[in-house]
Amino acid sequence: MPAMLLAQEKILGTEAQREAGKKIYDQKCAQCHGEQGDANSVATPFFRPQPRNFTSGIFKFRTTASGELPTHEDLKRSIKNGMPYTGMPPWPEFSDRQLSDLAFYIKSFYPDFGEYGDVQPLALPKPPAYSDASAERGRAIYEENKCLDCHGNLGRGDGKSAPTLKDQWNQPIRAADLSKRWTFRGGPTRADIFRTFTTGLDGSPMPSYNIQPPEDQWALVDYVYSLGQSDQPNYATMAAAKGISEPIDLSRGKALFDNAEAALFPLAGQVIEPGREFYPGVNAIEARAVYNADEIAIMLTWHTMTADTLGHNSPLLPAPPFDPQAPLAQGGEEFSDAVAVLLPSKTPEGVEKPYFMFGDSKNAMDIWFADLAKDSAEFFIGRGSKSIEPAGNGGLSLVSHYEEGEWSVIFKRSRVREGGLSFEEGAFVPVAFTIWDGFNRERGNKRGLTSWYYLYLEPMHKESPLAPMTKSGLLTLVVLLGIVAFARIKYSGKA
Amino acid sequence: MNYLVLTPIVVVMIALRFTRLNILGWLAVWWIATYLAISYGINPPLPSSIVGMFMGIVTLALLAYLTVRTDDMNFVKRAAIRFLTDKKYTLPLAVTVIALPLLAAFNVYLSAAKAPQPPAAGRTIHPPPPTEITFKGKKIDLVNGVNPYRELQARDPEAFRAHLANGRKVYFQNCAFCHGDNMEGKGIFAHAFDPIPANFQDPTTIAMLQETYLFWRIARGAPGLPEESTPWASAMPAWENFLSEEEIWDVILFMYEYTGHKPREKEEVH
Repeated sequence: MPAMLLAQEKILGTEAQREAGKKIYDQKCAQCHGEQGDANSVATPFFRPQPRNFTSGIFKFRTTASGELPTHEDLKRSIKNGMPYTGMPPWPEFSDRQLSDLAFYIKSFYPDFGEYGDVQPLALPKPPAYSDASAERGRAIYEENKCLDCHGNLGRGDGKSAPTLKDQWNQPIRAADLSKRWTFRGGPTRADIFRTFTTGLDGSPMPSYNIQPPEDQWALVDYVYSLGQSDQPNYATMAAAKGISEPIDLSRGKALFDNAEAALFPLAGQVIEPGREFYPGVNAIEARAVYNADEIAIMLTWHTMTADTLGHNSPLLPAPPFDPQAPLAQGGEEFSDAVAVLLPSKTPEGVEKPYFMFGDSKNAMDIWFADLAKDSAEFFIGRGSKSIEPAGNGGLSLVSHYEEGEWSVIFKRSRVREGGLSFEEGAFVPVAFTIWDGFNRERGNKRGLTSWYYLYLEPMHKESPLAPMTKSGLLTLVVLLGIVAFARIKYSGKA
Repeated sequence: MNYLVLTPIVVVMIALRFTRLNILGWLAVWWIATYLAISYGINPPLPSSIVGMFMGIVTLALLAYLTVRTDDMNFVKRAAIRFLTDKKYTLPLAVTVIALPLLAAFNVYLSAAKAPQPPAAGRTIHPPPPTEITFKGKKIDLVNGVNPYRELQARDPEAFRAHLANGRKVYFQNCAFCHGDNMEGKGIFAHAFDPIPANFQDPTTIAMLQETYLFWRIARGAPGLPEESTPWASAMPAWENFLSEEEIWDVILFMYEYTGHKPREKEEVH
């Protein structure tokens, strides 16, 4: 075989390899990426970011320079690892050979693969050790390169250009929230971060950066890395409310919760009932709580790129209609940000709860609601999405504050409510949350929601375990001595 | 199964077979071996409460085994009495009498130091279905009923493929968000729900169920679950509100096609 054809085969695979790749592709990939690789599929309208169109020859995750095609290994890695928090899952079950066959088949959708010889990966050095000094130095590089224009001052994805970002296909796209490494599409490690800004994410507004000298590259990596706490979200299953003795003064704001532990809960789109939200604007909410003898306060915080305080919002309003064929509508001055704490209307006995959506006819749900265009809370009783009744303000006080890409909203109420839900010390109270992202035009049942979690009121005074410990130890001792005495009296000298 | 743990356990036990271990030694070996096998030999690991329950049963079984032969019983009884009365065991006996109460107290400390756990709800995963349901005014027999499009597979493959294609569309526009692209229950929103979305690739889910059972679960969803299955917690929608009967049967065809599982045949009553 001529040398040129051999070289081609190394890049494009053999007919048999592509055929094997097609078999897997047709079964596992075509529903999103389209039979022809053009992302024209039944699933495409329901995912943001949209499935990759392989006929465009534009690939986000590469080890090659910006504008170049990815290497064979790049394609395999993207399939194997997937992209977290997108519709593209990891495919750990594929063998190396299957990944390779798939990559060969995917290349066949774009004619330039193999046309100009093989692509050369950039030299991506091994990461040096992380250091705080380097991270500190990285801040200046973050500013110099205008990273904060999109990613925001504290990296929460709230830069001033963030709301205007569009991808190559004119679809809205969001700047990564750098404080949540687990959502990084290209991976959370320092090597991944280095690769991302060195190669850029083609097709997205994220350009490639040639930062010199090389120490500055790692300083930027370390700074970005320092913005997040962990590679994993460590989602909680309950929020513990701290007992305090002083009055709960809402004017203290966030400082009230300094000693309360934060609990992070994942949000999913409401894709169950009409008004479905396939790409919620917010993916997690953090809760903290404190209580004293009379009152309880819950603070909710989340990151969002803009504070939408124009327009209005309510669980009673109809959700804007969803048209899968229409371009994604965003922004505007009609929809405000909003948040709700959902609780059972009565202190539950046993494990039964209201249906997590908005309650049900048997078990009603209390909805503590804050339209962030207003400065007071509203209160609703839910018996299902279609039977939500306004019920005054439910004795709720509210303060809300937006700063550096983060909303913090505090609800306060008296702990006891006659004939309704009371918060008792040491008790677990079911709790769920909902966020409406105004920029995403969420309203009514178009929302991001959590399932049920628990709010636990940590007892103010923890009982010392010394008394039960002594009791159990002494009891065991008495039993043992009894056995020894019995055996000695009965069998001494006989065995 | 974790064979890296199970294999050495079996090897050690076979090796011990060639030694002159007395009955007490054997009981100890069996107890430790079962404990290690149950705790570390199974993937995913069992909850500690289940391990505790199993070990209780194993202890009772070993005691029952001990009582089968009078010789063994007497041997153990004599050994125990010697330990309690013989002067040469005074030191180990004293250590035991002091150590056990301390262990008991420590155990109480550990349980007090543990963070409080939210109330747990036992949950029946595959509750028994009703014998029939009414779907938009039409009765669907869940015991003797069949997927009306299943027979096309043999009779009219082209029509069958059309139903499969429709099922695929229904799946990827409605189910994939939770049950995942690969039907493993790992969709984009799956991590936000507890109970987690069902994994259809797992041989203990749809492979064990009749197609009519799936029809019931899809049509009625979480709100249609009986009490023992905690209907308030599951996020499974009642699809009768959003899908037609044909769409539900089609997506069922597609789920079996994609996973390669065969639906369970209806039970023959003799």
